[in-house]
Amino acid sequence: MNMIEKILAKASGKKEVVPGDIVVANVDRMVLHDLSSNLVSKVFENEMGGGTMFDPDRVAFVFDHTFSPPSQADADVLTEARRFAAKYGIRNVFDSGSGSIHHVIIENGLWAPGDVIIGCDSHTTVYGALGVFSTGVGNNSMAALGYAHGKAWFRVPETVQVRLHGPLKDGTTPRDAAQFLEGFLGEDSAVYRAVEYAGPFIENLSIEDRMLFPLMAIDLGAKAGYINPDDKTAAYAHKYSRRKQSELFKNDPDVQYAKVIDVDLSKLEPQVACPPTVGNVKPIGQVAGTEIQLAEIGGSTGGRLGDIRALAQAIQGKTVHPNVRLQVVPVTRGVYLAALREGLIEIIIEAGGIIFPPSAGSNQAVNMGAMSEHEAMISTQARNFPGRNGHPKARHYLASAATVAASALAGRITDPRT
Amino acid sequence: MTPLILEGACWKFGHNIPTDMITPTAYVMRGMGEMVKHVLENANPDFPKNVQKGDIIVAGRNFGCSSGRAIAPKAIKASGVGAVIAEFFSRTFYRNGPEIGLPLLEAPGLHDLVETGHRIRVNIEAGIVENLTTGKSIQGRAPSGLLLDMLRAGGLIPLLKSDAGKVLLES
Repeated sequence: MNMIEKILAKASGKKEVVPGDIVVANVDRMVLHDLSSNLVSKVFENEMGGGTMFDPDRVAFVFDHTFSPPSQADADVLTEARRFAAKYGIRNVFDSGSGSIHHVIIENGLWAPGDVIIGCDSHTTVYGALGVFSTGVGNNSMAALGYAHGKAWFRVPETVQVRLHGPLKDGTTPRDAAQFLEGFLGEDSAVYRAVEYAGPFIENLSIEDRMLFPLMAIDLGAKAGYINPDDKTAAYAHKYSRRKQSELFKNDPDVQYAKVIDVDLSKLEPQVACPPTVGNVKPIGQVAGTEIQLAEIGGSTGGRLGDIRALAQAIQGKTVHPNVRLQVVPVTRGVYLAALREGLIEIIIEAGGIIFPPSAGSNQAVNMGAMSEHEAMISTQARNFPGRNGHPKARHYLASAATVAASALAGRITDPRT
Repeated sequence: MTPLILEGACWKFGHNIPTDMITPTAYVMRGMGEMVKHVLENANPDFPKNVQKGDIIVAGRNFGCSSGRAIAPKAIKASGVGAVIAEFFSRTFYRNGPEIGLPLLEAPGLHDLVETGHRIRVNIEAGIVENLTTGKSIQGRAPSGLLLDMLRAGGLIPLLKSDAGKVLLES
């Protein structure tokens, strides 16, 4: 069995599972953001009539879409979430300004290798970089099986192994590699399947950079993404996880894959996902010169300390282009503090950037980041589908922090190597 | 109980339709009454205005990709649509449909066989789609196991109240 099969077998009390089996697994953690927690609360109280929550300590709320309600309706969403948490005894509540949901959970150690984690958010796949099986489920699943019984149902997925080979050229980053795969493999290439990221390129990455791959596996259509846990996973768990006793569920040596794909990244140029979809990925040369009005370092796939460092390095002593608003959204409070202490925030403000509270940033334009019809943004966010950021014809380009930084200075999409 | 043999007029959509396009974020938290007025409007502005009870959505590949929001199938169901049939669905949409009692059927090859306005008949349990306008039919992948149990019961919540649901929790 591979990591996911072993974790699902353990969580469902079985000796062995094979792809295609339907299992009802015990869930270790259920993570909800402000919007999804409201939708699940409605199912739990209105459609099911409330009742007892199986174990409120397994539930965590992170209010990441709204950092300060711009309307009464938004305020009501947060008030409702706080009321629900208080009523049912949910103690793990990270209120507005804590950061982007999964990064907050990771930074606060509410996970351990071998766990099953579910969320009503498709990017719940990120914990696959930490030796965890994690995926998104619907509101009814979360309420009826998760809240009520501490369980979830899964079909054990077939697994595709993607073996990545580097090293990357100077100026090309792990984000470019993850973005490239969405175009190269295709947005529907792994529907219902799990994707294991492997190979020397993955082994050499930091955990922070590894997270990009399971995170972005969702936009290959995958149920889950994961990296076979190793010493780096164990060290990271030791540092962050609140539960010090956990087990690494490593692939058996004879594990079988539905498919194995080898990808050479050593000649890769910086990549940009262009409108209208995450899979419309082009080498930077094909889109360089496109004018932009918004640039953002933020989101679950950006706003990490490494991204903010890359930005600060690129813009130190320079000035953001007068036609561009540069928005910087640290992904957690911890990242914000670290950036502050390193002097990065000062550099960004002096260059004309705007710092926003730790949050999901312009993701879905709930609290910020809406555009007019003819505007364009380049960001480190995860998604660019039409209508996610204001007018359906507004254009959203996705790229690495280095490319976003170079573009913010030039006012147009710019190769960071030039 | 959800009807699993349906006949209705077809609305055809393309490939990789994200949930953001089914249920625009601006209306997600504004209640179903408001949401239904905007369902799929960015893909076809006529849809929310003219959709009739019992109509059937025909989609291409990977319908319901992007965000895993269950409000997407809920809004489609609330619009009166009786079933969604597609080449194939995104994983989260394929879970969420049966969980909330919206019949789904995957039928590869379907997309070229149907146009908006055609009348079609779908037998979910048998996996068969018939185009009553052209006379052509296609065999899809009939749901089985838990997915079919949820569809028959009308969703996950009613299933869990039944004997089959108790068996599921003890499995």
